[in-house]
Amino acid sequence: MTQQIQIETMHPSIRMLSDEQLQALHSASLDILSRTGIVMKSEKGRQLLLEAGAWESEGRLKIPEHVVMAAIGSAPSRIAMHNRLGRPTMPLEEGKVFFGPGSDCPFTLDLETGERRQAVLEDVRRMAHVCDGLDNLDFVMSMATPFDVATMDHYLHSFVAMIRGSVKPNVYTARERGDMQDIYEIACAVAGSETALREKPFLMLYAESISPLLYNDESVDKLLFCAEKGIPVTYPPSPNTGGGGPITLAGALALGNAECLVGLVLTQLVRPGTPFLYGMNTAALDMKSAIVAYGAPEWPLGMAAWTELGRSYGLPVWGVAGATDSKVVDTQAGIEATVTIMTAFLCRSNLNHDVGYIEYGSTSSAEMLVIADEIIRDVRFFMGGVEVSERTLAREAIHNAQPGGGFLADNHTLDNWKWAQWRPRIIDRMRYDGWVSKGKKDMATRANERARQILEQHEVPALPQAAEEVIAEILKRRQA
Amino acid sequence: MADILQQIASNLYEGEDEAVAGLVQKALDQGVKPSEILQGGLIAGMDQVGRDFKAGDLFVPEVLIAARAMHAGRGVLRPVLAESDARSAGKLVIGTVKGDLHDIGKNLVKMMLEGAGFETVDLGTDVEPAAFVTAVREHKPSMVGMSALLTTTMVQMRATVEALVEAGLREQVKVMVGGAPVTEAFAREIGADAYAPDAASAVDVARSLA
Repeated sequence: MTQQIQIETMHPSIRMLSDEQLQALHSASLDILSRTGIVMKSEKGRQLLLEAGAWESEGRLKIPEHVVMAAIGSAPSRIAMHNRLGRPTMPLEEGKVFFGPGSDCPFTLDLETGERRQAVLEDVRRMAHVCDGLDNLDFVMSMATPFDVATMDHYLHSFVAMIRGSVKPNVYTARERGDMQDIYEIACAVAGSETALREKPFLMLYAESISPLLYNDESVDKLLFCAEKGIPVTYPPSPNTGGGGPITLAGALALGNAECLVGLVLTQLVRPGTPFLYGMNTAALDMKSAIVAYGAPEWPLGMAAWTELGRSYGLPVWGVAGATDSKVVDTQAGIEATVTIMTAFLCRSNLNHDVGYIEYGSTSSAEMLVIADEIIRDVRFFMGGVEVSERTLAREAIHNAQPGGGFLADNHTLDNWKWAQWRPRIIDRMRYDGWVSKGKKDMATRANERARQILEQHEVPALPQAAEEVIAEILKRRQA
Repeated sequence: MADILQQIASNLYEGEDEAVAGLVQKALDQGVKPSEILQGGLIAGMDQVGRDFKAGDLFVPEVLIAARAMHAGRGVLRPVLAESDARSAGKLVIGTVKGDLHDIGKNLVKMMLEGAGFETVDLGTDVEPAAFVTAVREHKPSMVGMSALLTTTMVQMRATVEALVEAGLREQVKVMVGGAPVTEAFAREIGADAYAPDAASAVDVARSLA
C-alpha cells in the first residue's frame, strides 16, 4: 500500500487586523513621526537622527519615512536568546511564544505570611529561583524594586540576584549608563568574553520612552549602549489608553508604533543589525481609580494588533500576559491571566512579560507565577489542535468496542492516554472526600505550597567563579 | 434664589458648561450676589462631584467635564467677583521632581485640586529642588505637592524638603507627596507632612492641610 500523506494539524491563531488596517496604522505612525515629531532629550540621539535625515521644526524632531524603513530593513528578524549556560533556550522568532515575569514591583506577597510588604533584594533571587523551577516560564525579570539596598544601585543588585537565582535568559532594567556598563561587565564574565556574549546573549535590556513622544536622556543612552555593544534590547513605549495614549486603541497603536520605531531607528543607526525586540504596552488607564489596568482587555486586544504590525516589519515581538489587577490571588487573577496567556498564544507574540504581577503591577506573587505556569500548560494543550491521523481516529478501537462498554480498558487507551489527555498539576480534580481529607486547599494555597517546594528542592547551578569575582569587585567599587 | 443655585450646581454636576455659564449670568441678572453664586452654586456642585467620585460613583472624565463647567461658570463670575470672595481653598505649588519626566499623574492631581477650588502653580516635570524653593518664595503657597514615578527619583523629594528647610521656608508650607513607589512610611521618613495614594485622596489631604 502506498504510504499515505499525513494530514497536517492546524494550530489555532487569530488575525486581528486586515491588510488595510495594518497599512492605515503604519501610515498614521509615519505621519506622527514626520509631521508631529518627537521631543528628544538625548543630545547623542538627536545628532544621530539629524545626521540620518531627520530635521527640526516647531521644537520637535521630525523623522522621514526613509530613515524608518532603512532601520526596519537592517534589523534582524530573530533574536537567539540563550540561557546563562550558553544554551539556545529562547529563540525569539516567528511563531514562537515564551513567557516570563515583569520587573520592578515595589511590593511582594510574602510566601510565608501572605502579607503584602515592601520588596527586598532576596525576593529578586527567590522569584528568579521559582521561575527557574517552573517549566513554562522561559525567562526572568526582577519582579522587585528592592528597598533594602542603596536606591541608586538597586538595578545592579537586582541583576546579580536574578542571575544567581536562575540560569534562564533575563530581561533587565537599569538606571543609566553606569548600570549598563557594570551589568555588561558582569554578563561578559558569565558568558566568558564579549564575543561569547554577542554570540550567545542571555540578557536583554528593557527600557522605554515616555508616552506621548518624549525621549528622556537616560533611556535613550541605555538603548544606545546596547547598540554600541550589539546586545539585545527592547524599547516598548506605554501609550495606555486615556493616559499616555489616546483613549481609542487605534490612536494608541499608531502612537506606540511610531514611538517604538524611533527606538529601532536609533539602534540601527549606531549598529545595523542590533537585535531589537519590537512592541508596546496598551493597558487602559482605569477611569475610576486612574490605575494602569493590567487585566484590561484593551491590552491583549492591542497586543494581537501590534504583534501583526511587528510581524509585518519582520521583527520579533514583545508581549504581555499573566498579570492581574486583583490584590490577591483569586478568581479575578485567574480570569485576567488566562485571557492574556491565551491571546499571547493565539497571536504568537514572542516574549511575553509580566507573568505573576498582581495589583496592577505594584505587587509580585510567587503563587501567581505558579498558577500562570499551569494556565500556560493548559492553553498550550489547546494550541496543539486536533491531530487527525490513523492513531487518533482510533478506527480499530471503535470497530472492536463492545457497544455501551466503553474504552477505558482498551489497548488504544492504554497505549495513548499519556499524550492524548492533558493532566493537571495544581488544578484540582480530586473527588470531594479526597479534597476534604487533603485539607480543603484552594488553588492559591496549592500554588503557595508548590512555590515553597521549588525554593526548597530545586537547585540552580552557581555562577562561574570568575563572574562572582567580577561582581564582588564591582560592588566594592560602588561602595567606595 | 435657592432654586437657581441648585440649577447651577446640578448642571455643573452634569458637565453642561454652556448651561452653567448661562445660569450664572441669569443669577447675576436676578441680583444674586456673586459670592453666593460661587459658594452655593459652583462650589456646591463641585463638592458633590468630589464626594461621588470618592465614593466610586463617578469616573475621572466626568469629574473633568464637571471641572470644565466650573471653569465656564467662573469665567462669567470673575469680572464681578470681589477680591475677598474669590479666595481659593488654598494655593499649591506642584511638580514632578528632578530627573523625572512623568507628567500624567501629577496633571491628574492638579486637575482634581483645581476642580475642588484650589489654586495651583504647576512647575511641570524634572523640577530641581531650587526651583521649588524659588516658586515658594515667589507664589507664597500654603502647600507644596511633589510627584515621582521612579524609585531613583523619589530621593529628590527628600532633597527638596531639605532645600526648603535650608531656605528657611519649611515652616511656611505643608508638603504633600505621592506617586507609584511612594509610601506613607517614606513620606514620614523624609519629613513630608502628608502622603496621598491617589488623586482623589490628594484633594482630601490638601483640605486637611489647608
